[in-house]
Amino acid sequence: MTALWEECLRSLEHELPTQQYNTWIRPLIASSRNQQLILSAPNRFVRDWVKDKYLQRIQEILSDLNGGRITHVDLVVGESQPMFRPPEPSRVVTPPPTAPVSAPSFAATRARAEDNLPEDDDFGAPVPSQPASSIIIPASAAAPAVAAAAAKNSNRREVQVEGGVKHRSFLNPAFTFKTFVEGKSNQLAHAAARQVAENAGGSYNPLFIYGGVGLGKTHLMHAVGNYLQSKNPNAKVLYVHSERFVQDMVKALQLNAINEFKRFYRGLDALLIDDIQFFAGKERSQEEFFHTFNALLEGGQQMILTCDRYPKEIHGLEERLKSRFGWGLTVGVEPPELETRVAILMKKAEQSNIHLPDDAAFFVAQRIRSNVRELEGALKRVIASAQFTGSEITLPFIKESLKDLLALQERQVSIDNIQRIVADYYKIKISDLSSKRRTRSVARPRQVAMALSKELTNHSLPEIGEAFGGRDHTTVLHACRKVKELQQTSADVAEDYKNLLRSLTT
Amino acid sequence: MVLNKSAGHHPQLTLSVLVRDDARFANFYAGANEELIQAVQKQWTLAGDPFLYIWGHPGSGRSHLLQAACHYADGLGHHSVYLPLRELVSYEPSVLEGLEKLPLVVLDDLDVIAGNEDWEIALFHLFNRIRDAEGHLLMAANVTPRGLAVALPDLASRLSGGVMYQLHSLQPEERALALVLRARRRGILLGEDVARFLVGRGPECMSGLADILDQLDQESLSQQRKLTIPFVKEVLGW
Repeated sequence: MTALWEECLRSLEHELPTQQYNTWIRPLIASSRNQQLILSAPNRFVRDWVKDKYLQRIQEILSDLNGGRITHVDLVVGESQPMFRPPEPSRVVTPPPTAPVSAPSFAATRARAEDNLPEDDDFGAPVPSQPASSIIIPASAAAPAVAAAAAKNSNRREVQVEGGVKHRSFLNPAFTFKTFVEGKSNQLAHAAARQVAENAGGSYNPLFIYGGVGLGKTHLMHAVGNYLQSKNPNAKVLYVHSERFVQDMVKALQLNAINEFKRFYRGLDALLIDDIQFFAGKERSQEEFFHTFNALLEGGQQMILTCDRYPKEIHGLEERLKSRFGWGLTVGVEPPELETRVAILMKKAEQSNIHLPDDAAFFVAQRIRSNVRELEGALKRVIASAQFTGSEITLPFIKESLKDLLALQERQVSIDNIQRIVADYYKIKISDLSSKRRTRSVARPRQVAMALSKELTNHSLPEIGEAFGGRDHTTVLHACRKVKELQQTSADVAEDYKNLLRSLTT
Repeated sequence: MVLNKSAGHHPQLTLSVLVRDDARFANFYAGANEELIQAVQKQWTLAGDPFLYIWGHPGSGRSHLLQAACHYADGLGHHSVYLPLRELVSYEPSVLEGLEKLPLVVLDDLDVIAGNEDWEIALFHLFNRIRDAEGHLLMAANVTPRGLAVALPDLASRLSGGVMYQLHSLQPEERALALVLRARRRGILLGEDVARFLVGRGPECMSGLADILDQLDQESLSQQRKLTIPFVKEVLGW
């Protein structure tokens, strides 16, 4: 049946414009069941499109090729390959459309893994190897998927585990401790991650890293995984986004393969799940995750979780899960301060073999404060422009390259904008900020707004004073000092300031 | 093609998600966008970035550029899909499922899904899946990532993490030259003076000018007359 489909494909390739063929026909995966040709589309949209535009023609061609006999074609929405191996139905699957190339050799993989070892050789004891269990996909069965997965300039890590089998970790080899820039904002999380890498499955289990977006949570998580794998290339480490875990579970239920799913996830040496806030509201996934969590913890296997907030603050998550997340170590990451942002830029530039002058790094770091990802995006743009024009990276060059990004930012952070957001945050009127009223409920927000204006805009103290009801510049100076002091002594003010800073800069 | 949404499970799909055959880099007048074009082409090299974000005002040629990127990828043997979200937003976000199987996903009009929670989450997950699959994502909107009213911080951060370029609209003189180039590729003899006249009086966007060129071409063929300014005035009633 699939041979027939192959012939049909050749006809369609001749009939249709290349782009149409590639967009709609190539992604279809053929299989057969009970003399019926089953074509799996990647999603409902593609399925409906093919059904609407091409199905009739497909059936005509199949009929011609089959001596006039009618071939029944069933167009379905296919599923992506789950991490675990479901029980194999009797079906023939054509290779995925990606051109297959050979998978990276184990030796090469190992060599790359060793590159990730921290500079201090004494760091970390090897994690004991777990026996290869039934979670593993036999090499023969996994071959097409592995070959397709290894297409292009793959930097994926696949680990050879006993007996000619491969386990894919989804770890990004670029995210190591060596490439992580430590600063005041992430010191604790960094130290905790190193401890976990050194003593996986120990008392810091699970390691729960929380904080805003683009602050390096995922980097730290991968760094631990890469470290564990570099110490023990056979370690079964898996990084997954929470959505993937949910998808796998749903698929397991559909395929009646929940036991395989359980065996796969519970047979890992370390499970790294990113953005677990996306479990919120997904009760069945939480249930399954709860049991996986318990099984891994009891087995002494390491769990690392990231989230955008503190466990207790995740709405839509079961209490028992929130409570368990706190069993190990919970650490937060904060937005990096100026010095760390500069250090990150310098490090990234160094990795790209680019000379970034200090003043240029400070210029970018002063203007992009919200998160590291955006900082990297800006640097990548500067580097791309420098390569295109063959120019040296200087401060004027950076200003030119990033003018659209920076112009928008400066437009956004104005004193007016700060006053609006601060008034909204404290539920007072904007006019209160400029009024003569000196009650605490108005004076404190006014001081916070003045301090934010000093930090986020290039206005002078007298200009800021003028914008707040014609106050003297010494009043603004006092407000800035007071707010700085209160941030150290009052958790409420520190929290308010942090929240406001975040909403003004993201 | 036009959008035709009909009720039921199988709407009649008449979306313009197919890539126009003539939307290629060869007939894209670069103007001040040469660096951007190179960045799109470099996506397939080690030096390129797999995630590109392009912003440009309506009429700046975004759709042409994005479709040209699909043709370019196609020429290198990489399959791609071009999805103008403006036409898809009334469907379910499940449209984005499974697209990571394609080496290049091109999404236009991100501004229309900004603020739509379901679409934002679906795009965020697609982003992660493309990253895990080591694919390429080319995104475009009429504003920068910061200018988009994206509510999901995770998505906003990812949009800002790629390399961003502005697609600069062509200046009037460049539009005239682009029109001459377009005419030449289609075998139409269009003088620069006539092109400047069309640009001066016609719509600002290139697609509008191209439509006028098509109309003039047909009239000139049927009336067996050359494309001159008096002829243009007569046909278009200017």
